[in-house]
Amino acid sequence: MQLPLKSYDTNFHIFFASHYANHWFEPWNPKWFAGFSQTTYPPLPQQWVAVLSWILGLNVAYMTVQFIAILLLAIGTYRFSKLWVSPRAASFAALASVFLGSESFLVYSAGQLSTTMAAPIYLNALPFVFDWLRYGKWRSFFKGSVLLVAAAAAHHATLLFGSMFFALPVVGLVLLDKSRDDQDEEKTSVQTLILRALTITVLVCIAIAVVLMPFWIDLIRYPVTQAPIPHPSRANYILSPQWGLNYFIVPYGALILALPFIIIRGCSVVRLRPLMLGFWLAFLVGLGGTTPVARMLLGRAFEVLTFERFTYWATLLALPILGVITADLVDRFRMRAVVPLTILGAATCALAVSWSTFRPADAANFDVQHVAEWLNRDGHDKYRYVTLGFGNKLSRLAIVTNANSVDGESNSARTLPELTEFGGAALTSAKYFAKPGLDSLRAMLNHADRYGLKWVIVRDPYYDPLLYFAGWRQVDMLDDKTITIWSKDGVPPAIPMNLDQIPPRWQGILWGTLPFGSSLLAIAVLFIPDKKRRGLSVEDVSAFPTNVMSGGIIS
Amino acid sequence: MIKGGALAGLIFAATVGLIAIGTIWPVSTAAAYVGGGKENHIGSSSTAEGAVEALGTQIRLQQLSKAYSSLSNKAKFTEADFIHDLTGYGLSLRTYATLDNFEVKPLHQSANDAEMVMKLHWSTPVGVFEDARDLHVVKNGETWAVAWPLVPEQHVPPQVIRVNYLRWDVIYSGSGDDWGAQDVEAPHVRIIDMHPVNRADGMVVMGELLNEDVVPSFVSVRATLLAKNGSPIDTEGPFDMISHTLLPKQITPFIIRFPGVDLSQVGSIHLEPLSVLVSASADPVIEIQNQKYNPSPGASATGQLSNQSGHTVNVAHVLSTFYDKDGQVLWVAGQYIDRTLQPQIPVDFRVSVPSDLAGKVSSQRIVVSTYTNGSSL
Repeated sequence: MQLPLKSYDTNFHIFFASHYANHWFEPWNPKWFAGFSQTTYPPLPQQWVAVLSWILGLNVAYMTVQFIAILLLAIGTYRFSKLWVSPRAASFAALASVFLGSESFLVYSAGQLSTTMAAPIYLNALPFVFDWLRYGKWRSFFKGSVLLVAAAAAHHATLLFGSMFFALPVVGLVLLDKSRDDQDEEKTSVQTLILRALTITVLVCIAIAVVLMPFWIDLIRYPVTQAPIPHPSRANYILSPQWGLNYFIVPYGALILALPFIIIRGCSVVRLRPLMLGFWLAFLVGLGGTTPVARMLLGRAFEVLTFERFTYWATLLALPILGVITADLVDRFRMRAVVPLTILGAATCALAVSWSTFRPADAANFDVQHVAEWLNRDGHDKYRYVTLGFGNKLSRLAIVTNANSVDGESNSARTLPELTEFGGAALTSAKYFAKPGLDSLRAMLNHADRYGLKWVIVRDPYYDPLLYFAGWRQVDMLDDKTITIWSKDGVPPAIPMNLDQIPPRWQGILWGTLPFGSSLLAIAVLFIPDKKRRGLSVEDVSAFPTNVMSGGIIS
Repeated sequence: MIKGGALAGLIFAATVGLIAIGTIWPVSTAAAYVGGGKENHIGSSSTAEGAVEALGTQIRLQQLSKAYSSLSNKAKFTEADFIHDLTGYGLSLRTYATLDNFEVKPLHQSANDAEMVMKLHWSTPVGVFEDARDLHVVKNGETWAVAWPLVPEQHVPPQVIRVNYLRWDVIYSGSGDDWGAQDVEAPHVRIIDMHPVNRADGMVVMGELLNEDVVPSFVSVRATLLAKNGSPIDTEGPFDMISHTLLPKQITPFIIRFPGVDLSQVGSIHLEPLSVLVSASADPVIEIQNQKYNPSPGASATGQLSNQSGHTVNVAHVLSTFYDKDGQVLWVAGQYIDRTLQPQIPVDFRVSVPSDLAGKVSSQRIVVSTYTNGSSL
């Protein structure tokens, strides 16, 4: 039942949530990087985890929020799919979203709570955006705007790239439908459409700028200039088949079998073409370094972004077309289609869920409580510490100890030059980043005095020679000698650092109020009833005459 | 309007084409995951250099079975021998090493064979070490294959070694002792030489530290540069460029680097030696044999380390102090030994001197510090 807790980023989110739970209006967190601001990462999912943790505890609260995101995805997929296909096909798409390998991969292996939370909110917003653009409904404008802002408060990148992959196809759909409007009694000019699109874009951008203002201020003051950190999602999946398995086979699963049919159906039905093109682009970018597309489109950002989330978005975009194909198959073959499709869907989901067991993000399952107790006693917490070989347990330790570390798991929040100049990620995993990671670790150990870094807590003897020759002495052992503690003499007690980066009080109040408030508002506006949509509802894509749309329907 | 079938065909073709481009000419980031970072990463054994490149790539990707299979002289040793040659016969720096990159330099080539040098740059927790191998490459039909120059494991016959070394133990007052804040007087240590110089990448402070006490000491040095107005510029320590454990009357060199600082900015230097009483022993005794200084080109101190104790030393660090004719410290440099020091089996070392200082070196002194797995507490 606790499989999601084993994912790569879970502890990172729980660490952030732990801080919000205890210091809601204080974004400055001294526990990592000798002090950093939590305004470096959109807060909404972690704040919800924090709120629920007051009742459920952090672990169950995390899984509850993740579960809500999964439920929202089914709803969002249904609503988004209904823009493109019939309600019946949209139902199949929503059902398929439950078995989606990429969703399970993000939940159980990657642990990208923010991505899995933002995407369904975004999908739920798009039908309102469509209604606004096509019919000019102010109620839809309001609802869509509020949901888009809440999605941004959950994950800014989803909104940024979602605009390209999700929103532009919706605009394309509105334009396509406009040509049908010309035959109906209701006509909307292109200028009106552009004006509506600009209106919602500008207003949502302003709202996001305000809601996430501390984030933007921090980003402008401390732009991400650190050396790129390697990530295998940027590999070529053919030349590196082990990463192809991880980032292509597992997330797509049986959907791979449907890819040709998704392309063919998406191309054949004119109304589906914007969606299909959005899917194709996300698909190509999601292939990371397998094609030159991601590198060309993203430039330097290619070296910063990870690509499993593009695959996730690609699969979401494929779902409506998959829904149509599924509906066709079920209509034609009945149980002879239902049974194999169910097996394929279940197998896809099962593979992605079990992948976290075959290839665990953090194989070492150990309790950090004894380490925390050691740090919390005898004044050891007057000094900073760093762990080596702890993987993402680094975050777990940070939650339960009073001591502060120079290390941490958030690559965008760190500003210490020893961490940003070399191209390694967390020091605790330095060896996996080879020379850049080890150079970073050596630089940090060399400046131990500067940061009050007195303790190195080691769970991997790989680092022992370095510590020994660099003048650290082993002073204690814990957990049946599997964890050793090394100390450096003459290190002064830690003093507060990075003081110029501490956000002012008003930013803390904004950060504790607006993002969470945007989600409350989003929940509230959903209770405002919709008016019956005018015009033709999409009963079936085959309802559109092919002579108007110039595209045949393959069935 | 484009026909659906034509559009689908176009998308299929474009997808296949883009994947082909990305696979034949992978972006550098993707190529790095298949051992390269080169534009065309796919190693080919159709040339002598290509065969060596392919071997280096396989070693980098830790595909050692595949690398062994490609060798022309694999019948002369086992795959295990080959792996041990690369990763060490015992726990050593090689065990911890990953191949960061490699260079191939052709020396000679004919129609059927070639001589090449492959420099392997290994990354380890204590830094990078280089391993140069002279390779003989032979043509076999249409392909080339590398003859690997195996460095065989050396053995000493089983025997009993009598040891008679000094050892100092420290009794602490209780388990609650805060290390580094002991309630005993710190051993007396003294800086006996100090010499700041400007180098291309910044300023360095070199010197020597003497333990003038009768007990062993854990030592370090902290150097603070003060500007001419007395304000501090930077504080640094020697990190691993010092022997941190000093027995009574032992001397260690140290070198402290200040990247980006120019000597002209500095008004004074404050050196603060640190010492803590520790348990220590004179074991293992490392004898330095055949020590000599080799003048330019490639100026260096060379010799052999011989482990006189009965147990294996996993990692050794050689620190060499180079003096000018007046006996002043001219340079301090070090080298980690990448292979284990087995009892009584000499291992070569080579500590290089910057070429601009090589002509001024009059003498040198070698200090060796050692790490043995499991003996740190």
